[in-house]
Amino acid sequence: MITFEGAAKLYPDGTVAVDALDLTVETGQTTVFVGPSGSGKTTSLRMINRMVEPTGGAVLIDGQDVRLRDPAALRRSIGYVIQQAGLFPHRTVRDNIATVPLLLGWGRARARARAAELMELVGLEPSQARRYPHQLSGGQQQRVGVARALAADPPILLMDEPFSAVDPVVRASLQDELLRLQEELHKTVVFVTHDIDEAVRLGDRIAVFRPGGRLAQYDSPERLLAAPRDAFVESFVGYDRGVRRLSFFPARELSLREDVVFGDDTAAGAAAASMRGEPWALVVTGDHVPLGWAGAGQLARVPADTALGSLDLAPYGHTFAVDTDSLRAALDAAVLSPAGRAVGVDAAGRVVGVVSQEDLGTALWSVTE
Amino acid sequence: MIAEAWDWAARVVEWGVANWSRPGEPDRGVLPRLTEHMRLSYLSILIGLVLALPLGLACVRWKPLYPPVLTGVNVLYAVPSIALFFLMLPYTGFSDWTAVVPLALYTLVVLLPNVVDGLRQVPDHVRQAAVAMGFGPLRRLVYVETPVAVPVIIAGLRVASVATISMVSVASLVGLGGLGQLILSDGFRRQFDAPIVVGIVLTVLLAFVTDAVLVLAQRLLTPWAREDGGRRRRRRAAGPAGADTAAAPTAPRAAETAEAAVRRPVRTGPGTGHTAEEGRSWTS
Amino acid sequence: MDILIELFAWFADPARWTGGGGVPARMGEHVYYSLLGLLLSAVVAVPLGLFTGHTGRGGFLTTSLANFARALPTIGVLFLIVLAAGIGLVPVLCALVALAVPPILVNTHEGVRGVEPRLRDAAFGMGMRGHQVLLRLELPVAVPLILIGMRTAAVQVVATATIAAYVGVGGLGRYIVDGQARQDLTMMLGGSVLVVLLAVLTTLLFAGLRRLLVAPGLRTGAVAGR
Repeated sequence: MITFEGAAKLYPDGTVAVDALDLTVETGQTTVFVGPSGSGKTTSLRMINRMVEPTGGAVLIDGQDVRLRDPAALRRSIGYVIQQAGLFPHRTVRDNIATVPLLLGWGRARARARAAELMELVGLEPSQARRYPHQLSGGQQQRVGVARALAADPPILLMDEPFSAVDPVVRASLQDELLRLQEELHKTVVFVTHDIDEAVRLGDRIAVFRPGGRLAQYDSPERLLAAPRDAFVESFVGYDRGVRRLSFFPARELSLREDVVFGDDTAAGAAAASMRGEPWALVVTGDHVPLGWAGAGQLARVPADTALGSLDLAPYGHTFAVDTDSLRAALDAAVLSPAGRAVGVDAAGRVVGVVSQEDLGTALWSVTE
Repeated sequence: MIAEAWDWAARVVEWGVANWSRPGEPDRGVLPRLTEHMRLSYLSILIGLVLALPLGLACVRWKPLYPPVLTGVNVLYAVPSIALFFLMLPYTGFSDWTAVVPLALYTLVVLLPNVVDGLRQVPDHVRQAAVAMGFGPLRRLVYVETPVAVPVIIAGLRVASVATISMVSVASLVGLGGLGQLILSDGFRRQFDAPIVVGIVLTVLLAFVTDAVLVLAQRLLTPWAREDGGRRRRRRAAGPAGADTAAAPTAPRAAETAEAAVRRPVRTGPGTGHTAEEGRSWTS
Repeated sequence: MDILIELFAWFADPARWTGGGGVPARMGEHVYYSLLGLLLSAVVAVPLGLFTGHTGRGGFLTTSLANFARALPTIGVLFLIVLAAGIGLVPVLCALVALAVPPILVNTHEGVRGVEPRLRDAAFGMGMRGHQVLLRLELPVAVPLILIGMRTAAVQVVATATIAAYVGVGGLGRYIVDGQARQDLTMMLGGSVLVVLLAVLTTLLFAGLRRLLVAPGLRTGAVAGR
């Protein structure tokens, strides 16, 4: 547990970097410090490993003031990942990762063996061990940076905008990787970013900092999106926070309609009769694989005995997985479907049912409280 | 002790004043030696510059030309001017050329990479924009590339001029004039320290004044670079020196780093010149 | 052309290659003075540059001193020291050190200062102490620049050691001084050619040293974060 007790950083020129921060970072969770530049989030992070000394208050790790510990020894017990990784250009990937173990006096062979383990853990090829940082892509360098921070198995990991210098696709994969690692390792992670999406994606708890080094709100991502405390947090969280908040609600609570789903051998007339005013029918194969949408008007125009499978169907668009996806995915599927309806499928891709716009709307209203 | 030092300094100054010009020997006073020194160094620097500019331009326009030229330049760089003075002697005798040819070559060697890198420093997007606005190659050279190159070229010129002014003294050993002759014949041969000190002080002063003039020229020619140059002076001098710093960005390949390079070197002293002058040899 | 033929004959003379006045002996003296001067300079300049670069203190003083030293006319310094201390190896070495310290000092200082702040941040952040940051990060990253400074210094020292003959010690400069005294142009040229040769060899030697001492990750254009 990391505790900030009125921690403050005031520079001699009068700049307030951090203004009396009170905050507790829970052990084994990912806590994200997010805010615009100049809000003191990085300064706060760097107080934890004494890269910045507070001018007021204190930072405690498990109840002990960090200032009571030798800075070098303290830092060796805390993993540290920075923007663009900061790998040593004159050392191979392997020796970069082995830096802290070597500082701790592990001996070269053991340190290198540990480096090999970590390379596997963060998804690097063993063949890259003897490469130099400049021979790696930005994403790979950042993986090495994470591996280097984890090398001595520290309980705490500080990450200062680690993914901000890579492109969005690579960033997303690094974020996934971090989530996977965290599931496995349960480190106490403090993560600094200016990207609220990244914060929501990675954080168990999010601390929003405002300019002037003040804590604006400290909450779970759901609470942050649902109830921003003031106008600053609301604008920082973004105009589409409502939609993003849907990510936290499972789609399985939606009521699905099966009465508008028909096999491809059903006759058009029979289908039209059982639709009860619904404008669209979903046509599926015998195995419940979706084929496409048939409109009510279309069914009225063709001879009543025409099989649905022989009609010219509108594409069914995206589907959502009923058991694993969120409400946001269901909404997305509905928006992208020509029929305006979302198709719910099971893990094998078979149609479970269709969510009508009314039902989706009801579900959305219910979560908005 | 302190009084002795003052006495000594006073003696040196007195000698300098008394020998400022000698009516009996119009070529041998302090002033004529100083003007000789200026003539030899400025002539060398000027010729070096005049040769470096078109050669540098040619190397930028015809890229394959640069690697062999750079190799030649690097070989020349390793040749000490002192030895060149003696090697020139049979051909040029006691004319100015014995000193000017090697020193002009030295200036050329220091300047050429700066000219080339300076001209190449224009960020790609700026060059593209100029092309898109309808600038032809000549206009681009005059309005876009040259202004960007000026600070880099002047940085090289500063390195070359300080070194040249100091090296001209050595030319006295082959019998040429300049302040070195004051040091050698009035001082060393007569075992008399005052002329040596006067010679050293005037050489250093000449170097510093020349350097100051070049700094001033750069400020006048590139007003946009002033603020920046001061702030980022820690970064290394012209072009490739920075590129050779292990931790610095690579040679201005990507537009981004090229831009950084433009902002970077601008204000460089002859001190950082050690790296400037050296860096490029290393790229070969 | 006659000069070339005479020069060739001068080198071809067997007497040229033996005894205290022979090329090997003179070359040996020259290399000895140069090496001594360079080593002394490195011993002074490298630690000083590492210190100023690492602490960021005295950087301005270092650069200003180096600028000043660069503008000093070498023969002035040499002759002044000889007048004060008498003829011998010591004044020669003093002059060589005065010449070689600035480039080594400035390049060492700049090499260490030039280490990217984020690398230094990472090093401290991982728990390195000051001396560990200096020895494990700053020094290896600065090696290429330090070597460049050493090479500049070495070439200048080799060239300037020639002047040592004017103050009564040996080296290749003897051929030049004696040649001048005897009006023997061939001898003077022979000496100059040998100095040029030694200077070029020195440059080559440093190219080799670079291969040996610079970590592969730092060679030509190798940059983290590219």
